[in-house]
Order: sequence, then C-alpha cells, then structure tokens
Amino acid sequence: MRNIITFLSDNLNQFFTYTAFANFTIGHLIMILVGLAFIYLAIKKEYEPLLLVPIGFGILVGNVPFYPGLKIGIYESGSVLNYLYFGVLQGVYPPLIFLGIGAMTDFSALISNPKLILIGAAAQLGIFGAYALALLLGFSASEAGAIGIIGGADGPTAIFLASKLAPELLGAIAISAYSYMALVPVIQPPVMRLLTTPKERVIRMKAPRAVSRTEKILFPILGLLLTTFVVPSGMPLLGMLFFGNLLKESGVTRRLADTAKGPLIDIVTILIGLTVGASTQATTFLTAKSVGIFALGAASFIVATFGGVVFVKFINLFLKEENKINPLIGNAGVSAVPDSARVSQIIGLEYDKTNHLLMHAMGPNVAGVIGSAVAAGVLLSFLY
Amino acid sequence: MKKIILLMALVISRFLPSYAQSATDLRINEYLILNDSGYVDDFGVHNPWIEIFNTAYNSVNIGGCYLTNDLQNPTKYVIPKGDPITLIAPRNYIVFWADNKPTHGILHLNFDLRESTFIALFDSDGKTLIDSTTLVSPRKDISYGRIEDGGALWTYHEKTTPNANNQTEAPVLAAERIVKIDPYGLGMSVIAMSIVFLVLMLIFLMFKQFSASVARNEKRRSRKQSQVEEIVISEEMAAAIGMALHLYHKDMTEYENLVLTINKVSRTYSPWNSKLYGISKWPKAN
Repeated sequence: MRNIITFLSDNLNQFFTYTAFANFTIGHLIMILVGLAFIYLAIKKEYEPLLLVPIGFGILVGNVPFYPGLKIGIYESGSVLNYLYFGVLQGVYPPLIFLGIGAMTDFSALISNPKLILIGAAAQLGIFGAYALALLLGFSASEAGAIGIIGGADGPTAIFLASKLAPELLGAIAISAYSYMALVPVIQPPVMRLLTTPKERVIRMKAPRAVSRTEKILFPILGLLLTTFVVPSGMPLLGMLFFGNLLKESGVTRRLADTAKGPLIDIVTILIGLTVGASTQATTFLTAKSVGIFALGAASFIVATFGGVVFVKFINLFLKEENKINPLIGNAGVSAVPDSARVSQIIGLEYDKTNHLLMHAMGPNVAGVIGSAVAAGVLLSFLY
Repeated sequence: MKKIILLMALVISRFLPSYAQSATDLRINEYLILNDSGYVDDFGVHNPWIEIFNTAYNSVNIGGCYLTNDLQNPTKYVIPKGDPITLIAPRNYIVFWADNKPTHGILHLNFDLRESTFIALFDSDGKTLIDSTTLVSPRKDISYGRIEDGGALWTYHEKTTPNANNQTEAPVLAAERIVKIDPYGLGMSVIAMSIVFLVLMLIFLMFKQFSASVARNEKRRSRKQSQVEEIVISEEMAAAIGMALHLYHKDMTEYENLVLTINKVSRTYSPWNSKLYGISKWPKAN
C-alpha cells in the first residue's frame, strides 16, 4: 500500500513538473495578456482581424509554459510548430502572400495617374528614418535594417527581411509591424492633420481615366523587369507580386488567380500569423531590444506618413491648379493596403462630405507595396 | 506601342549577361605544386593538386570537360562523364591530383604539375576555354590561389585550403563595413532612398509615356470612327426586361436578396478545363 502511494506521489510529482503551472513565469503572463489584447482588438474593434486573430492566438499558443525537451515549443527542433515556423525563418511565406496580394490588387489607379507612384517612394522615408534611429540606439546595422523595414508597413516584407538580416529579432519585428499596421487609423490622422492646411484638405482631384486591358497586362510585366533589374534582391517579393497580378489581369488564368487570392493566401496567412505569434515565447521575446523595436516601429510609421504627406505638398508646388494632389492621400504611400487608403478617405470626408479620396489613395497605396519591396531589396543587397 | 516594346527588348538584351549557369561557371581556384607534407590522395601520397571552384548557385557537372597543361593539346585529359563525384555542388569544390597517374582514378590527371608552366580548363566541346592560369614559381607546401573563391585576385596561401574556402579568416560582414564608414546611417538612407525613387521613377516615366500613347491612339480611333454604333433598346424591350426582373423579385422569399450577376458565358481555353473543350477549341491566333 505504501509502495503504491509512493509510486503515485512520485508520478504525480513528475506530472506536475510537466504542467504549465510548474513552468509558469511572470513573462508568460504578460505575453498571454498581450495575446488576449490582440484577440480583443481584432474581434471587438475589428482591427485587422485576419491578422490579429491568428497572431493573438499564436501568442497564447507560444506562451503556454512547458517542460523543455519534449519537442513542443516552436524553437525546439523537430516539433510541429518548428516545422511550420520553417516557412517564416526561411522566408517562404512572405512571397506566397505577395502572390495573393498581387492577384487581388488593382493597379488601375496607379496606371491612370502614374505620378502617384512617387508618393509610394517618398513614404519609404520611414524605413530609412527608423534605420538611422536604430543605429543611434545601438542596434547593429543588420538589426537596424530589419527594424527599419517596419516603416514600410508591410508585414510579409518585414518578416522576409528580418528572416535574412536578424532572425533573432523576427518575432518582435513581425509583431511590431502587424500591430502598427492595425493601428494605422490611430497613428496616421494626427500627423496628416498637423501637416496639412484646411485649404489643402479639400483639394479635389481629377477623376481617374479608364485603364485599358493592355495597360493592365503590361504593368506587371514591365513593373517586374524595371524593378528587379535594378534591385534583383527584391525578386522573391516583387516577382510573386507581379506574377499574381498578371494572373489576375491576363483574364485567362482566372482559376489560378482565384486560388492565389483565396485559399492560398488564406492558408499562408493562417500559418504565418500563428507561427509568428507563437514565436513570441516570453523567454525569448521579453527583452529590452523588443521594447526598443516597438518604439522604433511607432517612429517609423510617423516618419513614413510625414514623408508621404510632405512629398505631395512638395510636388503640388510644381503642378497646375487642376492637377494638384490632395496631401491627405500622402499617408497612403505606406503599403498597409487598404487601411491607409481608407484613412485618407475618412479624413478627407471629415473636411468635405463629397470629396471621396479612396480611389486616388489606392494609387500610392499599391505603389507603397512595390516601394517597400524595393526598399527591402536595397537593404538586403547592402546589409546581407 | 510596338516601338516601345521593341525598344525595351533591345535595352534588356543589351544588358543581359552573356553567361549562364553551366560549366562556364567553373574556375581554377587554387593549386599546389610542391606538396611535401600537405594534403594526401587516396593512396596516402603527397601530390600536386588543382582545385576547381563552382561559382554558380546550382550544381555543375564537370564531367566531359578537359584539363590540360598544353594549350596546343586542349583535350589532354578528359574528365569522365557519369561519375557522381564530378557533380560539383553550388559554391563547392573539386580537387584533381596532377601527378601523371591517371590509373589511380578519375581525379588523377595524365600530367604532372611539377613539369608544367600552365594549366587550363576547357569545356566539353574541347574548344571553349573556361579558365586558365600560368603557374607561378612553386614554394614548398605553399599553394597559390585566388584571394576570394572565384575572385579575380591571386596570392600565395601559407595555409593551403584544398576543398575549402580560400579565405581562412572570418570575413567582415557587409553590414559591419557599412556601419564603420556610415555610423549614423545617413549615407545609406540617402543612397537607398535614391534607388527606391529611381526604380519607381522608371515605372512612372514608362507609364506616363504609355498613358500619353494610349490617349493619342484613342483620339485617332475616335476620329476614324465616323459611324458610332448605338444599341437602341426599344421601349417595349425595356418594359419586358423590367417586368421580368419584377416577377423574378416577386417570386423570392423574404430571406433572399435580388442580386443580378452578368457573367461572360464563353470559357477561355485551358487544357485543364476539360478534355472536350481542349480538343474543340484552339488558343486565339491573335
């Protein structure tokens, strides 16, 4: 009888060491609360739910404490989560997401008014502003480059670059990028209001012209050749983006385009969201560096918005009255599609109920996708 | 429009690199003439060796190529085809023993480096010179090779590196080099922003021209089109369509919405669509 009790107590004791309670730390609690906050924001406030729900739940998954060595954790070689995380670490998922983005993006607004593409370049100032700030804060050049890309407001691009330049910071960078993308409606409007005059906010832009099918088909082909010949390191992202767009615009590969923008991007979004969330294990995530990355992420979004809006004001100096651009679409130069374009529309309507800026803002918005991928390619070729 | 495409093709073809990832990516990377106490072959003998480096990012098969020490006889030693060891992995190496003992295996050449002044690698046609080098004066157990694998500059290597990277010291990372000369990131930011602007400016200029050309074409077309084809829908037809929609809507239950979708019925060709469809319709000729 005594042996049985000893046996049971030993086994229960061993079982207890395997439970989450025995391995629980305050760090796990903090991260679980962060995960819950993400899920709350996604469901209650509908901030980027397609991203924040998988990431938020991933944070919960990654922060259930466990006894190490049982092939459970995302960083434990051979675990299921580790296999899924391979796509993040090796930069497999981001190009697949770009394929889907390409298949669902309509570049008409950009083709009809090509000068809007330059706003997408100006808004990349956030990337390089954050890069310089990160260097000042003592990050290495590779880390600074990976952090800077948060300013491009593009989750897949941030993951792609971080996986190459600073894999150890990947979780913090991805979480920061997606968090601020979800917070675009909160971050951008004050900057836009601060930098524009009441007169500028009510500028009416010319309606975009109709774009022919030939132009739409040629755009991804020429876009690919022009961008990747200068920045071949951006090929994985730009190649897939323009390929997806050609599937859409060619009109003869509808099934492929439907798959790319539907089931494929959904599957990859689930995998990338869940694994990035799970990579925020408290033991590796809660560091001073992560706090610095979050601060720099916010700064980069502000600088990016500044760059886009001020650039529009600058080129307006050279444009005729009837061709002027409303600076409220300058914020859309970051590649958070379509959130930042939606912000332009909402802020524009605040000042003129009949001035719809959405269609115009989509031009710089999709240009921002190209711009941030090009910027990532440039950083990769300089720092890798 | 056609002119633009032609111009693009010409510009692109002008800048296309003239090499592909094949045997032409191989380079003579390092050699040791006086091997006194270094690397030994399968027979435990110190022999002169030649290291070939695959500069490509894909595997390259050196089988069928020729190694020689005589330019008048480019096909002096043919590297046998079909042996797995002749397949060089990406950015990897193969070492040949230049000991004039070809019977010792396919990696043993039929000439001796100690009796040579020159070595060359020829492609499988026996005519295309892939790489060659004039041998420098030999030093005991000190090899001569490229400073960086596949690079242009050569030097003596006191530490010989057969089947390994010629650079034995840890290289300084690009990021570290940049931060040394640009500690605040300003130079990098200016250069990188300029490149981003340049790339997007190229797209802007291209499509600005394109838009102008489209506008011109449309103007020309509208001028040519003397008769405008109008679709006239008579009042009776409009009434009939309206009535049909009304009746359809009326038949719906209160839970259904009236959504009218007009889809093109004809399907574009794809062999994956259906076999019958595939054999009955050809892709458009123009």
